[in-house]
Amino acid sequence: MRDYDAIVIGGGHAGIEACLALSREGFSTLLITQSLDAIGRMSCNPSIGGLAKGNLVREIDALGGEMGHLADKAMIQMRMLNKRRGPAVQAPRAQEDKFTYSRIAKETLESEEKLSLFMDTVVDFITENGTVAGVVTERGWRISAKAVVLTTGTFMDGRIFIGEYDAPCGRLSESAAIGLGDSLRRLGFHTGRMKTGTPARVRKSTLDFDEMEIQDGDTPMLPFSFETDCIDRTSIPCYVTYTNEETHRIIRENISRSPLYGGKIVGKGPRYCPSIEDKVVRFPDRERHQIFVEPEGIGTEEMYLNGLSSSLPEDVQHAFIHSIPGLRHAEIMRPAYAVEYDYLNPLDLYPSLESKILSNLFIAGQTNGTSGYEEAAAQGLIAGINAAERLKGEKPFILSRTESYIGVLIDDLVTKGTKEPYRMFTSRAEYRLSLRHDTADQRLTRKGYEVGLAGKDRLDRLERKSEEIRRVKEILQHTRIGAKSAYDTLKEPEKDIHELKISSLASYPEEVLREAELDIRYSGYIDRQERELEKARKAENMEIPSDFDYDSVDGISAEAREKLKAVRPVSIGQAGRISGIRVSDTAVLAVAVRSVKRG
Amino acid sequence: MAHYETDEPIYALATPYSPSALAVIRASGDGVISLLQPYFSGKIEKAESGRVLHGYINGTDGRHIDEVVVIKYGKGHGYTSEEAFEIMCHGSLPVIRQISALFEEIGIREALRGEFTYRAFMHGRMDLTQAEAVEEIVKARTGKGAGEALERLSGTILEEADKAKNEILEILASLEVQLDYGEDEIPEDWEFPSERVHAIRDRLAAIASTYRSSKLWTEGAVVVIAGRTNAGKSSLYNALLKENRAIVSPIEGTTRDYIESDAEIDGIPVRLFDTAGFRETEEAVEAEGIKRTESLMETADLIVYVIDPSSDDAAPEDPRVLTVYSRLDIVDKGKALSFSSVTGEGLDKVISAITGKLTAGLSEVAGVPVIDSERQRDKLLEASDSLGEAEKSMAFGFDVVAMYLQSALASLGELTGLVTGEDVLDKLFSSFCLGK
Repeated sequence: MRDYDAIVIGGGHAGIEACLALSREGFSTLLITQSLDAIGRMSCNPSIGGLAKGNLVREIDALGGEMGHLADKAMIQMRMLNKRRGPAVQAPRAQEDKFTYSRIAKETLESEEKLSLFMDTVVDFITENGTVAGVVTERGWRISAKAVVLTTGTFMDGRIFIGEYDAPCGRLSESAAIGLGDSLRRLGFHTGRMKTGTPARVRKSTLDFDEMEIQDGDTPMLPFSFETDCIDRTSIPCYVTYTNEETHRIIRENISRSPLYGGKIVGKGPRYCPSIEDKVVRFPDRERHQIFVEPEGIGTEEMYLNGLSSSLPEDVQHAFIHSIPGLRHAEIMRPAYAVEYDYLNPLDLYPSLESKILSNLFIAGQTNGTSGYEEAAAQGLIAGINAAERLKGEKPFILSRTESYIGVLIDDLVTKGTKEPYRMFTSRAEYRLSLRHDTADQRLTRKGYEVGLAGKDRLDRLERKSEEIRRVKEILQHTRIGAKSAYDTLKEPEKDIHELKISSLASYPEEVLREAELDIRYSGYIDRQERELEKARKAENMEIPSDFDYDSVDGISAEAREKLKAVRPVSIGQAGRISGIRVSDTAVLAVAVRSVKRG
Repeated sequence: MAHYETDEPIYALATPYSPSALAVIRASGDGVISLLQPYFSGKIEKAESGRVLHGYINGTDGRHIDEVVVIKYGKGHGYTSEEAFEIMCHGSLPVIRQISALFEEIGIREALRGEFTYRAFMHGRMDLTQAEAVEEIVKARTGKGAGEALERLSGTILEEADKAKNEILEILASLEVQLDYGEDEIPEDWEFPSERVHAIRDRLAAIASTYRSSKLWTEGAVVVIAGRTNAGKSSLYNALLKENRAIVSPIEGTTRDYIESDAEIDGIPVRLFDTAGFRETEEAVEAEGIKRTESLMETADLIVYVIDPSSDDAAPEDPRVLTVYSRLDIVDKGKALSFSSVTGEGLDKVISAITGKLTAGLSEVAGVPVIDSERQRDKLLEASDSLGEAEKSMAFGFDVVAMYLQSALASLGELTGLVTGEDVLDKLFSSFCLGK
């Protein structure tokens, strides 16, 4: 078997972005996956985006990633969330046809000239002097490469649980990757266990739709990708129903049969996405919980019961599902289950997502303790770009918290680590007013272009749009509404650009008008943040050399020294975000770094 | 949260915070000269670097604070290599406080310990060793400078501020949950908890108002020691000066008239007067002295009336009077406030009685603890203002409301410890049943 510039392990949402970034930047890349039929599989809910997550998708797209394209092509319903609650925290979320999504993902990879695909399981790494040099597979292949991206998702020593039943799987009836975890531990990696879960899938033709509320999407569907002009498909509805006292009684009476409550599962699950038994136990006063019934795709009868994830035995699942209006006669096609898996402590990573333990190994996705397709894809993209930068001999590509949710995500992971599966929330971003989903291209496309991933056509598109926005703002400045300019009028609450009825704006596209309007509306608040942003940027720009000797610094506490040595921050800014590091510690560190530079 | 950084305008008192003949306050950072110019009568903007200018420092209300000398440093010249100036003013505590207050108001913040040295080092001042820079910063952690002592929140105040912070955190979490979960999952729209927020604001304002701003802390108090001749006034006066940091200013009267000095009693800047004793006299000079004593007593914030325990003297009826018996070593008056200038006995009680009486009216604000730093007051008011802005922004969008609530938390966080995004999420997950 021939050798490659780079190998990507895993064909999930992180792996897709990583191998595309590498191959599109011109490197011969091999994607090794346990199943070629599972590329881009949506293991859990059939939707992409959502609050903060939708912003991630658009940022991935702006940089030249693939998730936006895939989601646009497989979209069957779309909603703009939080329309009423404030433009800066709005985000798109789409229901996806899982099967189309996965098929197009595979097609996209297959059409890449520099990318090879191969089905096998990686069990070990080939290393040379602390640097990764290739992989060893279950069937005995030894394949060499200069850089490796690891994206194993929930498969590394994965184990699924349904009541008393458990099996070594990453997804239901899909074998776990056994052995890799041990190899990594032998190499000195710190692993831990995490847990997540998924609900049952039921058959559409057995549901009583007249007992459920219908939930339609927006018309027209708006795309994630800045390169998609419009999506011209009919939208498919979702349905809403509720649990009741009877449901809760069944769950309570059988709680001892749950592997979570019985102590079989040790991994930490996400608080933001609890199983139904968790909700019933933790919030006993709630009379009902909302359940969303969502289609898994077009060519399938399977429906996803969003809100009912569980690890209770199948007979209990049958009983409580059948107690819910609309689902009383539901045929359960796949049971709900919990999955427990190995993750690698993200504190062992640099912000480039390169391992501190093994050089040239980049790690992305759920392996780093995150959850969600979008979080995985964002890391996969950054890991792929950085593997490519390494192959080119360039400096790491790092996005800051001030310019992107991706920056917040990765900085949180590598600076603070995570104790539960990490999900992106808008409240994690200090500067979210500046991180609107519609400005992702303004924030990131040029960077994607400069690093060699986003094409020239993307940049041209951005420049055309920016020019239009500039012209719209100019028109608004020169149009008077009473005593004020139209521009200043828009700063008032509840003023709408269309209400102003300015005829010279009629020819501009809606997205341009909307973006100009929001820029103006938020300008006062953005200015308010600008000083803080400037300070943050300055601290980020104060780099700490990667071989910096923390033991040589006098004047920092022993505790701070240990933490700094563990995280090895790349900048004074990052050092300051490590928990327990005091202002005086970072100041002393800055002085020490500065004197090293002086020589 | 303040951080060690460069270029942002900062100031610090370069001389000890205690009454002295002269004090030096320095400021450094981008634009400090033009920030100062409107409040300084000398033409500092036009002056060359290194020039010494004489003039008046004025408050934002236009009133003179002090007659001063200012040295200007252009970029690359001064200690920090940043644009900078040094003010030499009179070393009276009220003057120092008023200049500090002015700086805070015009956007120059108080420097962290060692921040000037930090900047000098970071700007490549080669004559400064790393060790020196580090030492200055580390001192900030271990040192108990006068400045820092003033910054510390006392127990009850910390509790109060913490309570307010937690309430705001709860409110923020109830809003954030709507920004982090879509309207299909959490359909009920958030409403501004006006009543609750108003109560928090009232509370914050009440705490802030206990700042002994008015006369006592910015201008200081006038304390007059009065009594009959030979009652022991001068020995009390001298004892107070000995016990407390003080300088004896040029004597403006004669012993027959009065003498005065600046002292700090329990942190309160006090102008202390020793007056001529009362007695029937025919002598013109002495009669004049007594007259002056009487007019001094009229303007006094507190009159310490000293009585010889062996005499039949009684203190005048006046709420400002604190009666003190001298010669405790000779006659013990039991429960009455007494001291001995010979043994020093009772002096501490006299001092705390003085402080108690000076602050008495101020701490009576409906059970609210008293704060004693301007910065604390400003942070409390900032938090309260942000809450007001949050309410006003309801028409604008929840995202902006959340931003103001976060600002309020950040302001309080500087007094009680920071609130992180993780704290918000913890609160959110523990209070709401979430997740599809």
